[in-house]
Amino acid sequence: MTHLLHALVWLIVGRNKPVRAIARTGVSGTPNAGNAPPLLSPGGLIPAYILLHALAWLIVGLCANPALAKEKLTVLTAYPEDVVSRYETAFEQTYPDIDLAVIWKMPHDALPYLKQPKQGGVDVYWSASQRNFMVLKQQHAWQKLGIDRSGLADSLGALPLVDTDGYFCVTEMAGYGFAVNADYLKKHGLATPKTWQDLADTHYQGHLALPVPSRVGFAPMMIDSVLQQYGWEPGWALLSDIVANARLVESGSTFITDIIGSGERGIAPTIDFFTASAAANGAPLHFIYPEPVAYSPAHIAIAAASQHTDAARRFVSFVLSDRGQKLLFHPDIRKLPVRASVYADKPDHYFDPFSETKAHPVVYDPSRASPRLALNNALFDRLFSDHLQRLQNLWLQLRKHQQSAKADQAERLVKIRQLLTGVPVNAAKAETPTLQQTFSERSTDKKAEAEAQALEQAWSKEIDSRYAEAENLLKQLGP
Amino acid sequence: MMQRLLGIMLGLCALASAQAGSSFEVTDNSREAYSRINPNSTPEQLSEAFRGRSLFRQSWVIAPAKDIETTGLGPLYNQLSCLSCHAKNGRGQPPETPQQAMRSMLVRLSLPGQDPHGGPLPHPVYGTQLNEQGVPGVPGEGLVSVDYREHSITLADGETIALRTPLYRFADLQYGPLPADIHFSPRVGPPVFGLGLLEAVPEQTILQLAEKGKRQGVHGHPNVIWDDERQCAVIGRFGLKANVATLKQQIAGAFIGDMGITSPLHPEENCTAAQTACKQTLSARQPELDYAQLKAVLLYLRLLQVPARRNLGDPIVQKGEQLFRAIGCTACHTPLLTTGEFLELPILSGQTIHPYTDLLVHDMGEDLADGRPDFQANGREWRTPPLWGIGLIQRINEHSYFLHDGRARNLTEAVLWHGGEALSSRQGFAHLPTEERLAVIRFLESL
Repeated sequence: MTHLLHALVWLIVGRNKPVRAIARTGVSGTPNAGNAPPLLSPGGLIPAYILLHALAWLIVGLCANPALAKEKLTVLTAYPEDVVSRYETAFEQTYPDIDLAVIWKMPHDALPYLKQPKQGGVDVYWSASQRNFMVLKQQHAWQKLGIDRSGLADSLGALPLVDTDGYFCVTEMAGYGFAVNADYLKKHGLATPKTWQDLADTHYQGHLALPVPSRVGFAPMMIDSVLQQYGWEPGWALLSDIVANARLVESGSTFITDIIGSGERGIAPTIDFFTASAAANGAPLHFIYPEPVAYSPAHIAIAAASQHTDAARRFVSFVLSDRGQKLLFHPDIRKLPVRASVYADKPDHYFDPFSETKAHPVVYDPSRASPRLALNNALFDRLFSDHLQRLQNLWLQLRKHQQSAKADQAERLVKIRQLLTGVPVNAAKAETPTLQQTFSERSTDKKAEAEAQALEQAWSKEIDSRYAEAENLLKQLGP
Repeated sequence: MMQRLLGIMLGLCALASAQAGSSFEVTDNSREAYSRINPNSTPEQLSEAFRGRSLFRQSWVIAPAKDIETTGLGPLYNQLSCLSCHAKNGRGQPPETPQQAMRSMLVRLSLPGQDPHGGPLPHPVYGTQLNEQGVPGVPGEGLVSVDYREHSITLADGETIALRTPLYRFADLQYGPLPADIHFSPRVGPPVFGLGLLEAVPEQTILQLAEKGKRQGVHGHPNVIWDDERQCAVIGRFGLKANVATLKQQIAGAFIGDMGITSPLHPEENCTAAQTACKQTLSARQPELDYAQLKAVLLYLRLLQVPARRNLGDPIVQKGEQLFRAIGCTACHTPLLTTGEFLELPILSGQTIHPYTDLLVHDMGEDLADGRPDFQANGREWRTPPLWGIGLIQRINEHSYFLHDGRARNLTEAVLWHGGEALSSRQGFAHLPTEERLAVIRFLESL
């Protein structure tokens, strides 16, 4: 073999023949040792000493399988490029025999994509969209993960970290909390809030920004976390109190963090990594994790139709491995790992949910929230978005009267408060699957849309009547 | 005492002159330093630039999809988003092992000869760029891997430096073999900040720099190229061979070439006649990047600021700057330019800038040659790359790979790869005593 190598080296180098590109066709995933592609240099001429080494490498290549023949693994995700590129690179370093192809789809497009025949060729779905994972599980779209979960907890308080049947699991979390402009708070003499209840304090009137859940992608889960933490009726009552203090923010070019960073408002419920990103861009913000914290989990699953199950399991295991989980600490990602042990190596001041839950146990379970999010969004809009000015005006008057209330007015003030905080759907009804489906299917089902509209009209009538009664009672209290 | 006072005053003057140059210079050492939008823009401009920023950062989606404004990836493409190759608006990097795919790097292709306007002659099947990825049902064109072979050189002070020569393999070519005489040119994604300022440099300035260079024995020249949009020959200034005239064309070219996204400038998908599956794939809409979106991305890139120099008071940096000039680097890496009147975006007009480029193409020698002519830039010529912000690459992009194909692993290696008409500067650098060589590097790190 050595003699052959030397002979070939002599043949090429001795004649000083320029080596130009000679490419060959190969079938994807099928090594073709006889046609191993040669080493090429742009411009063609390769210095002789380089060529000697290169040719030796080529011969090695001829004797073994070409390195480029790889198994293709297709991952469907909605993660931004900063996340995807880091995982691509790290996974490829660990598993050079797997060619990772990424398809990017937002959750609303991912669902129909995964319902296609052969699931669109997708092997792994990895996204922060719990509803998709649950819907597709019902349609038998997943195969069991079948990975070693040693060192991974099954739950974080009330938050399940793995599907009860083992079809999908959580890979990372983001925390809901409050973006705060410390300078703004100082200027207005405001304390830093620690809980959602704190945000209802009258001191924060005019100082909050609150995303509208029907318009801002991350907000529905966050709003539901309030309902789960405080209970259905008390939760809506608390939200009404908070809305009284807030500017409502819809999606668009103005993001929540822009409003707080610019000092237009001082506090906004949001998600941790948005705030971290804005702070990295120079916004004067920091993030407060409330007590307790609610988390938005991202999940991963292997498609039932995958023809690359082993490679898919390697990818899932990699994402959950020490290395994969520590990537989440990167300042361009800033998510919370689900492997508790990696927090031993966390950056300074990085939040540790496993440690935090010991002091303030997690109560929010997003799987409970998922079926009723569309219902919540509709209720939020009919209760608050449709009547913001009117509602805030009512709260302003009520709070004024509460400060100087006479004994004989107490009962009436309680009544007014009940009118402003009531919700037209009670807790039991909100859990009804038919009602939840009416709202979750309204965008794709005309009948459901008609039913939802009819219900909304009824709610609006009831809400209008409540607010009108509150206005009337306040009038009777005088100026 | 008097001397010390004078020294302080001179230092302050140097600081002031360096910082007073342009409202586009931003004092920022953070990892966001390449991503700052000029705050002196109007609210309307800022709003449009933010839209452009979103599009630049967006991962594009395969059709069909609900979000039509960000749908249209492929049928053939290299990456999903602009950010893939220009991470944090900075530099891409080559794969670290032969097994890794090109994530922020691509390979240009052409055949010997020229197209009717003097540009590269596209391969009839693969076109002018190898698109490694395809949407489902459309095979990606093939894979390229890179490996390196090292050789050592010894500098005058006895230090040995290992340089690595890249060697490429094409594999899995899905549309037939490439011919033996194919020209190919691997490139990593270059930084994208400061491009508006370079666009505002008057043509006359570029021509004057070419004349000035000749007097100094440097024979850089503008790359006169064909402007498809205006249908005339113009001076190119964007792209690693200055083969694109305007930033708008550069952006639209990258959208179609790297991501397969059509635009008003490139209304056809990037499929050749032989790529039948590609041709049969429906576009998301026509065009996939509409005019308003293209304009927003253009404004975003034009308004990006440039990191101001750092450590100006450091005597080693000052010494390095003197040496950089003394060994002739500034003959091409022009430290100071002034933008002209730029009617499309007046905020770019009359700015004193420190890009360290002359926007000319220069013979860089055989070792860096790609052998792929591009209009008037021959296979040994490359446009002088701007050096502004180069000292923050390590911090922002978390690597230190330089040169067009990322073969240099640090700034020292990058300098030592210079050849052709930069050979004397390279030799000057190699003959410097250790401390002075390090001072040159320290200076580069201050940019």
